Amino acid sequence: MKMEIKNIKKATFMVLVATAMLSFSACNKDSGTTETAAEEVKATAATSVVKTDKDRILEASAAGKIGNWGLGNEYEILALLAKYDQPLEFLSQDFTMDGFDDDSIALASAMTYNELGLVKNDYDGAYGYGDEVGTIDMNDEGVAMLEDNLFTTAEFAKANPNTVKAFVYATLKGWEDATADPEAAAEVVYKYGSSVSSEHQLYMASEVKKLVETDTEGNPVSNYGYMDEEAMQQTLDLAKTYIKLDDSQAASKLASLTLDDVRDTSYWEAATASEDGSDLGTPETTDVKVQLKWLPQSQFMGYYMALDKGYYSDLGLNVTIVPGGGDIAETTAVYNGTVDFGVTWVSNMISANAAGMGLLEVAQIYQRSGLLLVYKK
Amino acid sequence: MNKKQKNMSWQSLSSIIYPAIFGIVVFVMWQGGLLNILLHTDTNTLPSPSRINSIIMDNQAKIFLNLKATVIVALVGLLFGSLIGYGIAIVAAQYRKWGAGGITLASAFNAVPIVALAPVMNNLTKHISSSVDFRSMLAKTLVVMIVCIAGMSVNAYRGLTELKPFSEDLMKTYAAGNFTVFKKLLLPNSIPYVFTALRISLPGSIISALVTEYFSEKVIGIGRQIRENIVTAQFATAWAYIIISCLLGIVLYVLLLLVESVVMKNRNRK
Repeated sequence: MKMEIKNIKKATFMVLVATAMLSFSACNKDSGTTETAAEEVKATAATSVVKTDKDRILEASAAGKIGNWGLGNEYEILALLAKYDQPLEFLSQDFTMDGFDDDSIALASAMTYNELGLVKNDYDGAYGYGDEVGTIDMNDEGVAMLEDNLFTTAEFAKANPNTVKAFVYATLKGWEDATADPEAAAEVVYKYGSSVSSEHQLYMASEVKKLVETDTEGNPVSNYGYMDEEAMQQTLDLAKTYIKLDDSQAASKLASLTLDDVRDTSYWEAATASEDGSDLGTPETTDVKVQLKWLPQSQFMGYYMALDKGYYSDLGLNVTIVPGGGDIAETTAVYNGTVDFGVTWVSNMISANAAGMGLLEVAQIYQRSGLLLVYKK
Repeated sequence: MNKKQKNMSWQSLSSIIYPAIFGIVVFVMWQGGLLNILLHTDTNTLPSPSRINSIIMDNQAKIFLNLKATVIVALVGLLFGSLIGYGIAIVAAQYRKWGAGGITLASAFNAVPIVALAPVMNNLTKHISSSVDFRSMLAKTLVVMIVCIAGMSVNAYRGLTELKPFSEDLMKTYAAGNFTVFKKLLLPNSIPYVFTALRISLPGSIISALVTEYFSEKVIGIGRQIRENIVTAQFATAWAYIIISCLLGIVLYVLLLLVESVVMKNRNRK
């Protein structure tokens, strides 16, 4: 008898918990359906008028729903907001696209080769939106800043000119191979330790190929690693306008920076003029490390390709690729000598040089901006 | 006797003087650049105090704005976390059979890292308000609150249960009601334990406020500024915010000690 009472008590308790959970989830669903209903009304009302990208930017800005990761990735977005006379504010986006998925971000930042693929495609870990999403391209908007480059310190380059030339030569050869066969490149990257699925790695390789072989205007580029004066100058000008430094000493240094403080084309010129790399002289330093900006992925396929095919060792270089990720600052890693070369966005190198790090770009791998704002149609 | 007294006062004085001398020596070495040589760092990674100070002076308005955001999150989180912790302790003290076990369970919350809690709270609060300022503040405060619950519940539970022998029986012989027992016996008995809890929770609340800002939707707060400036290689500015966060912790801790000494003094006088 006593047992039964206990059981009844237990049962009622469980029912109570179950109803509470059900009603909670029902509440959530209710709010969801009303939202979609409202969106449908909006959508039908809007079918007669075609929304332009400008409308979308103004609307999202007014709602405070433009997202970016910050941490030095935000300058193109700030330039875009300034172009449309909007307040220079954005939501801090995390490293997933969940905010875009649940509509807390209307215009989300996405790299063509990474987040856009996660939003559009339907492989494991992606959101499967397909053609239901549209994009606003920083290149088309005229606010493109150059991204993934190859840099070292001015000091290292001066002391090891042959090492730098050889490293640039082998790296560019790796990129040539990678863009010629993105599928093979994706497989090589996957082999060296991948942070994402092989399907996504392949998607990334095909998109990165476009960034390496097309300039900001959409014209094809055949000389890999070329440092285009105009695009570099636009990057520097936008950086000077939108990088805000609290340190007055660094701020005045930033204002005085010229392209010559940021890049040196001579190593690239020597590397591209070389017949087979053997005429570049004996490397002064043979053990070198290169710090990537992010986890191992096809974004850096050229380096993995050069390593895998032995292009570095052919020139007597013993290269270690150091993956990045999280809060690892590649600029600091190169500056303090933990590594010899680094891959970063030009804007990040500019702010590091404003702080007095004396970094030097020796090749510009990506010829156009890969940053987009993605929205649901 | 006199000699002994002299010794005592010299001892208490020296406990202040030696650390102070050490601090001054480090400061002079830092400003003079000797510290950079000893640590093999350049003035970029470890800028001089005068440079850090000039950055603080140049950006007072911005620093104040960020400081305000951090302080509100830390203190509101501390307040609600402590109240909930005390509430749990009262309930646990009432039902002692499973109370002690419950407290242990509650303190397990303390083991959940802030890095894991912050994104969870961000997602939970996403649909609460359309105002980013409000919901990101709420998410951050919730993290601080959870971090502060455990310390208070464990300490307050001891304050509510470790009573003077027979004091509870005495209250019973007076035929005192539950509330009277709480007001006259349990609450006063728990006050020293509450302060012990606060001395643990206060620095904890500031640290969790700083860290949870890393993941917040709104880019604001001392912790967030430290992260932004380190990632964009602005170490001098990052140091300025680090100094501000240290000062914040020290000032709030000293205030807490002052309040504690006043409250305890009054209690002892009674």
